[in-house]
Amino acid sequence: MTLILALFAAVSVASPLLTRWLSTRVFYVIALLPAAVFGITLAQTPTIASGGVIEEKIEWIPQLGIALTSRIDALGWLLALVVTGVGALVLVYCARYFDADEPGLGRFAGLLLAFAGTMYGLVTSDDIIVMFMYWEITSILSYLLIGHYTGRKESRGAALQALLVTTFGGLVMLVGVVMISSFAGTTSIASIVSEAPQGAGPTVAILLILVGALSKSAIVPFHFWLPAAMAAPTPVSAYLHAAAMVKAGIYLVARLAPGYADIPGWQALLVGLGVWTMIVGAWRSLRQYDLKLVLAYGTVSQLGFLMVITGFGSRDAALAAAALLLAHALYKATLFLVVGIIDHQAGTRDWRKLSGLWRSTPSLFVITAIAVASMAGIPPLLGFVAKEAVFGAFVEAAIEGDFWGWVALVGTAVGSVLTVAYSARFLWGAFGNRKKIVPTELHTDGWGIQFAPAFLALATVVLGIAVPLLDPLLALYADTVPGEGHYHLALWHGLEPALFISAAVLVLGGLLFWRRRGVARLQEKVPPLVDASRGYWAATQGVDRLSAKITIFAQRGGLSQYLSTILVVFVLALGLTATLGRTWPSGIRWFDSPAQLVVAVVMGIAAIAAALAKQRMTAVLLAGVTGFGMVGLFALHGAPDLALTQALVETITVVVFVLVLRRLPVKIAQHNKPEQRTRRLIIGVLVGLVMGTIGLIALGARQAPSIAAELPRLAYEEGHGRNIVNVMLVDIRAWDTMGELSVLVVVATGIASLLFVSGRAKALPRLSGSRNQRRADNRRNVIDDPQTTEHPESVHRQSWLLGGLKVSSENRSVLLEVLVRLLFHPAIVVSVFLLFVGHNSPGGGFAGGLLAGLALVFRYLAGGRYELGEAAPIDPGKVLGVGVLLAVGTAIGSLFFGGEILQSAYLEADVPVLGHLSIGTSSIFDVGVYLVVIGLTLDILRSLGAEVDRQQEDTDLEAGTDDDFTPAEVRP
Amino acid sequence: MNALVPLVVTIPLLGAAIALIFGHRPRIQIAISSLALTAVTIISAVLLVWVDTHGTVVVNVGAWQPPWGIVLVVDRLSAIMLLVSALMLLGVLIFSIGQGVADNHDETPVSIFHPTYLVLAAGLFDAFVAGDLFNMYVGFEMLLAASYVLLTLGGTGARIRAGVTYIVISLMSSLLFLASIALIYGATGTVTIALIAERVRDLPPDVQLILCCALLLGFAVKAAVFPVSFWLPDSYPTAPAPVTAVFAGLLTKVGVYAIIRTDTVLFTDVPLAVPLMIVAFFTLLIGIFGALAQADIKRLLSFTLVSHIGYMIFGIAVGSELGMTATIYYVVHHIIVQTTLFLAIGLVERIGGTASISRLGGMLKASPFVAILFFIGAMNLGGIPPFSGFLGKVGLFQAGVQLNDPLAWILIGAGAATSLLTLYALMRVWNMGFWRRKDEVKNYESPLIQSLAENPDDAGEIDRKHTPRLMIAATTGMVLLSLSLTVFAGPLFDLANRAAVANENHSNYVDAVFPGGVE
Repeated sequence: MTLILALFAAVSVASPLLTRWLSTRVFYVIALLPAAVFGITLAQTPTIASGGVIEEKIEWIPQLGIALTSRIDALGWLLALVVTGVGALVLVYCARYFDADEPGLGRFAGLLLAFAGTMYGLVTSDDIIVMFMYWEITSILSYLLIGHYTGRKESRGAALQALLVTTFGGLVMLVGVVMISSFAGTTSIASIVSEAPQGAGPTVAILLILVGALSKSAIVPFHFWLPAAMAAPTPVSAYLHAAAMVKAGIYLVARLAPGYADIPGWQALLVGLGVWTMIVGAWRSLRQYDLKLVLAYGTVSQLGFLMVITGFGSRDAALAAAALLLAHALYKATLFLVVGIIDHQAGTRDWRKLSGLWRSTPSLFVITAIAVASMAGIPPLLGFVAKEAVFGAFVEAAIEGDFWGWVALVGTAVGSVLTVAYSARFLWGAFGNRKKIVPTELHTDGWGIQFAPAFLALATVVLGIAVPLLDPLLALYADTVPGEGHYHLALWHGLEPALFISAAVLVLGGLLFWRRRGVARLQEKVPPLVDASRGYWAATQGVDRLSAKITIFAQRGGLSQYLSTILVVFVLALGLTATLGRTWPSGIRWFDSPAQLVVAVVMGIAAIAAALAKQRMTAVLLAGVTGFGMVGLFALHGAPDLALTQALVETITVVVFVLVLRRLPVKIAQHNKPEQRTRRLIIGVLVGLVMGTIGLIALGARQAPSIAAELPRLAYEEGHGRNIVNVMLVDIRAWDTMGELSVLVVVATGIASLLFVSGRAKALPRLSGSRNQRRADNRRNVIDDPQTTEHPESVHRQSWLLGGLKVSSENRSVLLEVLVRLLFHPAIVVSVFLLFVGHNSPGGGFAGGLLAGLALVFRYLAGGRYELGEAAPIDPGKVLGVGVLLAVGTAIGSLFFGGEILQSAYLEADVPVLGHLSIGTSSIFDVGVYLVVIGLTLDILRSLGAEVDRQQEDTDLEAGTDDDFTPAEVRP
Repeated sequence: MNALVPLVVTIPLLGAAIALIFGHRPRIQIAISSLALTAVTIISAVLLVWVDTHGTVVVNVGAWQPPWGIVLVVDRLSAIMLLVSALMLLGVLIFSIGQGVADNHDETPVSIFHPTYLVLAAGLFDAFVAGDLFNMYVGFEMLLAASYVLLTLGGTGARIRAGVTYIVISLMSSLLFLASIALIYGATGTVTIALIAERVRDLPPDVQLILCCALLLGFAVKAAVFPVSFWLPDSYPTAPAPVTAVFAGLLTKVGVYAIIRTDTVLFTDVPLAVPLMIVAFFTLLIGIFGALAQADIKRLLSFTLVSHIGYMIFGIAVGSELGMTATIYYVVHHIIVQTTLFLAIGLVERIGGTASISRLGGMLKASPFVAILFFIGAMNLGGIPPFSGFLGKVGLFQAGVQLNDPLAWILIGAGAATSLLTLYALMRVWNMGFWRRKDEVKNYESPLIQSLAENPDDAGEIDRKHTPRLMIAATTGMVLLSLSLTVFAGPLFDLANRAAVANENHSNYVDAVFPGGVE
């Protein structure tokens, strides 16, 4: 059976391609598949008839207990025949129904075939979760098929409505399915039914599953999606919305009834809602003029009828249910197909515009009459047999004094009267003569299109007569329902109550049809009891509006709100846990030396002042003070390396800030209202308090010794270095360093990417000409820059730096130029020194790189961007790349020597000046660090310095003068 | 095998270095990044197979023994995350190569894109293999720094605005993470995860709770868990399509991964089920309500992203073996399907000229194939069978039912509701954008789209661009991958189960790092 399903899938996928080749004939080809499966299922009849089942199991997800298990028993056999048989006929019908130029024909063919396969899977699957999967897939296919006419708004809306309603039920059902399989300890439907778990849990689970069944089978209050779904092409209505998909709910109830029909709520829910649906549907059907809608509401009504009998839960009712299910599939599919033909050939489905069709197409009239008669319950058709059985079962129960038996009997009898009335009205409406209307002209295109309905009508007749043959097969299912039962399906049971009821129903129904004008007037006076469709729209719009409100509320504040939310959560969560906790540190030592206290107080004041600062530069400098406070704390703690590095970092940070601040307004904009400021102040203080408190608690709770105690020994003995920090950076935790290097690289790249939007590959500007030429130019003070020629006094001055000539005179400082000229090279030498001694003394690649970077910063500050171009005529991207390459290369290198990643090897030697050196692979790693830091500085200078200079000059040139330049943001 | 583990980080870093050096040579850069990510994908696959058969691989970096040195730990969970991320990164890379070629590198200037993208990959992989809490932080930093750059590529006003929100929030989460590491170090004297796991058990329960909450808050911001999730939809959707795809698929999942590690290895004794269930509930519902209010499909998807994080948090909260199994499967599913959907929407935007439901139309006609790609992704995200979203959901529901706890029932209900609303949001996109004809769009009125909010940064109709086959091929490959989650659901759930079982007992992790016992 899995093979069959795979074939369905494959052919469905291929259908669009086949359609290109075969046009509408594709339907004949793909109809072969369900027809073949129908044949196979028919061939399985002997096995089924002898009470056997056909099983197959393929493991799929053992963890979830899901297996592709198929199991065909009598019920599955019946349904499989219906879905494949009707499916094949509908596909054949499609070949004539559609024109070759129908848009989306290939898609339609594939989807319809896929639906047939899915339905087959649904009714043959024994795994309840897999069954649910087919269940949901049918909803999706139904969505796609209802929306076939994609250009029609109502089609799309109806499709979405059907999907949402059935999926709503489906998801409720899923919860029930998961529950029941969990309670039963198996996903096998057969076991779930035969060994039904008892108790409140399973009861709830089954009731949840029933919600799914009710929504799928369009039972009140979910019924409204079905009439709307008539926006689909008629073959879809015939197959999905009459014969197959809507039967899934009935099928499921029929499946579960043997095990669960006696649980509380089952009968009340199904019989109650079923009766209501039957009456409401039939009543509405009587009001319609669109033939398809007459049938649609009729289907709703009949589904209610089916639900009552299927859910009733006695053996005889189950037998009647099986018969009615079959009968309904046959006659309702027939009628839909007939409406499709009329619509197609007459161009309308409104029977007020049709006249005399019985004369112009007598064959169609006969087909329809048979189906309508079966629907109304006229002997000797299958519909009559089924209805007799239904009444028989209910009468039996009612006689026994069962309350729900009475409800079902009276309800279905009333419903049947209405059914007879709308059946007659349908036949009359579609084929009768209208006095004022010209007999409708049909443009027939052959008899082929009538094949499918004719076949189905024939089946209705044949099966009605041959019902004794069918009886034992259907009884196989009915007998699984507990309880006594002896009913047999037959045309003639003698003069029993059921026969009288049937007769009375026919008479009363005929009466209603005869007095149809009176009925119509009554219809107008009685308001619709439930308008569930309006409920649907109210619900979707309600959800939409609610969503909009919630979202506007949640997202209203932007960044500052998101940030305060995080901080408030922090304060609440940790403040609460901290205050509720009982572990408090004892013996708090506030400081080691008074100097720490002083530094801390200064840092605190600076931090608060920074938050209050009105000017950006002030804020930056004050933040810098906190940074240098950290330098002091490190130094006081005896960590000169950290202090040195931190000091260099702070310096560079301040420089970078200054470079950026050039392009920003001087003052910090004050957008915040006072109460916002207060709120933020409170949050800030609380965060600080909480963080401080939990810091105390955490540190006070320490029991085990820190790993730090071992590090000095390890660094010296294993890492060959006395500078623990450096050994940590380049050896013990070099893996972290490598990662952080890439962070630096990315930051540099990112800054560049923002400023050089066009790509940063462009080199920095350099002075033109060869090096010697430029020196000569320098001596002769040749100026080629229009900017500097505006300041003639600079022409007469000797420059200490090559690029200095390009700087306008008021920005030049001779002192700075001289200092930079003198100190640049020594600084570079010292940086290299720091790099190499770092392993034992304060220094290292990071500090060295920062120093070299600072040297470049000063070259730039003194000489501008041309000077920077002269000092470092390289692409910083390459420096960064080489740096990372060295570091990562060192890391990987050791792998080639059979070591672990980043394992160091050492070479010891005495080197003049530097002393005894132990050069390890870690030093190469450190060179990488050094290069990356230089590359970063260079990149920042290039982008935030040089590029911003250039942009500013462009802006100034556009503004005409550079004196009254104000950034756009602060202009009034 | 030990040598392979660090390669997942070092290869992308080397690639980044080389890509930087060849900043002017796009072709070389493309070749380098493709090679690097292909290599990592293969290595991850090998690692996964090895780890699954031979057990956890532990690498002592630089031959330094833990707890002094850094350890890298690859167990099944890490290996799964590695492989899935590598596949995603590779798929998105191919997509972006196609896009870059078509757009002449306007959207994704290669000289920056490739090295940054590779560093992002390296950081991601490092976070998954880190056996050291501080190193995990470094991994986070790497991927975050790279993400800052990728988010602001091109430097348009909208991207800078989104970037500011994203960077500030990410820095805050990093700060919380770093502070938590400091607190944990303060309390336990180590940053090696395995040793922390042992030592925290000796701490008083209330101190454990404090440390755990502090750490989780940092991760929760990253993973976009309610109520610290609001930043995400304001940040992600403005980036170029491939970047958003990677962010959506992977970055939040690093947070989820870290939460799993926190819950199952670091702080096993802290009772977190109830608070996690509560935040999962709100994450699911508030997130999906957000999605329903959006007209912009990329924003809509960002909200569904937040919402579905709730499923994973729910699974973690349930905490049973089945719960963790389903969570791991769901994480894999969600990574793949979110990434795929964002790529698909990238294609839709190029072909349809807009990503706003109110203006998009006629996509089914314009490109039936892209429509199918989107539809499959949408169904998958909506949890429709037989796709992986459904299977993951069933696993989570089963775990919840077995827990049989009132909160778990509520969560199952919320999960089902979220599934329905996700489907509603996505099918509305289908109704409007794919089924509706382009010529209907003008003055279109429907109750379905009345309450939608447009993207504040909406640039209006953009020029339709040529869509190279490579972009479609990459997206198709991802869709096929997502389908394979269904086909191979059995083995995958088995694998996830083995990963979950190993994770259930935190001593597995500790024993692997300290084979001779702790101290």
